[in-house]
Amino acid sequence: MVPCDRLPVDTRARIVGRRAAVAVVVVAQLLLIARGYSSAHKEFAFQMFPESSTWRADVVRVTDDDRRVPVSEPWSGYRWEDLVTSRGLQTPWMRHHADAGVDNQLAFLGAALQWVADHTPRDHQTRYLEATVTYWHNLDAPTTVVLRSHDRNGPP
Amino acid sequence: MTALELASRRAGLLARVDELLARRVSMRSLALLRILAGPVVLLHLRPFLVDAARGRIYRDVFSQPYVSWYPQLPRSLYITLLWIGAAAAIAMSAGLWTRLTTATTFAVVAYNLFLSTTHFHNNRAYLFIVLAGLAVAPCGRELSVDAWARRRRGLPPLDPTAPGWPLWLLRFEASAIYGASGLSKLLNPDWFGGAVTWDRVMQSKDKLAATPLPSWVVSALTDRTLHVYAAKLIVLTELFIAVGLWWRGTRYAAVWVAVCFHLSIEASADVEVFSYLGIAALVIWAVPSTRDRMLGMDLSAAGQRWLATAVRRLDWLARFRVEETRRGPVRVVDRDRRVLRGGPAVIFVLSRLPVTAWFTLPLLVVLRGAATREWTDDRAPHPGSRE
Repeated sequence: MVPCDRLPVDTRARIVGRRAAVAVVVVAQLLLIARGYSSAHKEFAFQMFPESSTWRADVVRVTDDDRRVPVSEPWSGYRWEDLVTSRGLQTPWMRHHADAGVDNQLAFLGAALQWVADHTPRDHQTRYLEATVTYWHNLDAPTTVVLRSHDRNGPP
Repeated sequence: MTALELASRRAGLLARVDELLARRVSMRSLALLRILAGPVVLLHLRPFLVDAARGRIYRDVFSQPYVSWYPQLPRSLYITLLWIGAAAAIAMSAGLWTRLTTATTFAVVAYNLFLSTTHFHNNRAYLFIVLAGLAVAPCGRELSVDAWARRRRGLPPLDPTAPGWPLWLLRFEASAIYGASGLSKLLNPDWFGGAVTWDRVMQSKDKLAATPLPSWVVSALTDRTLHVYAAKLIVLTELFIAVGLWWRGTRYAAVWVAVCFHLSIEASADVEVFSYLGIAALVIWAVPSTRDRMLGMDLSAAGQRWLATAVRRLDWLARFRVEETRRGPVRVVDRDRRVLRGGPAVIFVLSRLPVTAWFTLPLLVVLRGAATREWTDDRAPHPGSRE
């Protein structure tokens, strides 16, 4: 065992550094917990099982000739289920539990529409993707919102 | 109060904080957590490795970077990094090149976590926090290949104590997780009023009816009135764990409740590694001093030999210093110099071993009145029992 007289001596820098590291972690954690009450993504806010809310969405591709084609049908060699595999978005046309809350689910669905619009280069027909989302926030009456990706023909 | 008094009081407070952060405590609980965290990391990385083996990584499917400048590795390097993380987790668990492998495990898990918003889950955030705590603490000086190799080379063991601040921070984080979860439910009228749990059960009513549960149980579980009270119980449970872990008088109860809480979550929801990690991380609440309880046993008695073997194999937190006595029942001298003998002493010992604690802690409450406690002559508190 290392004798006590050979233990490292605390320098002023070490003391201040330790104090600062602890203060930063504690303050950051408390701020992140507080941020969780206003943010769709609640990183490090630890709000577990926050809602019983459910949702479903009709996601369509709106083509250049204004056809509205459900993404449940494969297109240009793509399948929605293969492109969007996480966060409960694989089968949006079925009713799902919004396991991290409705706001979080809508944020992810909106981002997924953008991602699919940007990552399907073989598709030369789709102008944008659109999701008509119906959600049931806990026991509230259903609400419908429409989410849309950017126009693939327009400026990025 | 004068400005001088105020400044003096502030300096005194800061000095106490510095003393607490620098206080040398045993790193034994973090060494044990390090061992337990290795398999948890492997479980965490498994789906990423399985996807990679199938030729798919995060950016082949919907993903969303937090920031555009976050470094994206070439595919082969990313997959190699995941395997390095898995190998480092195994080495970390074994305590091989512990500082390096723990830091590597943390770095890989952290890098992967922040690659995409889609990677983020509460259980992964907790794993990130635990690994960060382990990476900054010297938790490889015990229960490790490193310590074994040092012994083999004839070198003296390294000091198993270190400044306590990483342990205090991990405790803060663990407590904050239960507290934040409980608080968010407390402040949500739907949650606290029972609507959320009732609605979730009603959504699964068909599945519930298909289970072998008797119809009256299903009927009770779907009764809204039950949820009005059950929701409050859940919220209070989380808050009790968050607060109860800090005080000696409630800590064992909080640990026991926390194990029940994690097991019930594991049985009812898919929470990835949260339950394993949550239960493993409870070891950080052990008083950070070792071998400060004396366990006296007569090793000529078969029953006591059995207990001695159990303690040798299961006392992972090094709670007891075993001493051989000539005759008589098992005898435990606690940190505060109180003495327990016979059956109560055996139950007390088992209640302090990680594997048997959950089963025996309730017995301790039952036997509290029956236990014979005496005092040794010296009532001075043990230096390790400051907490």
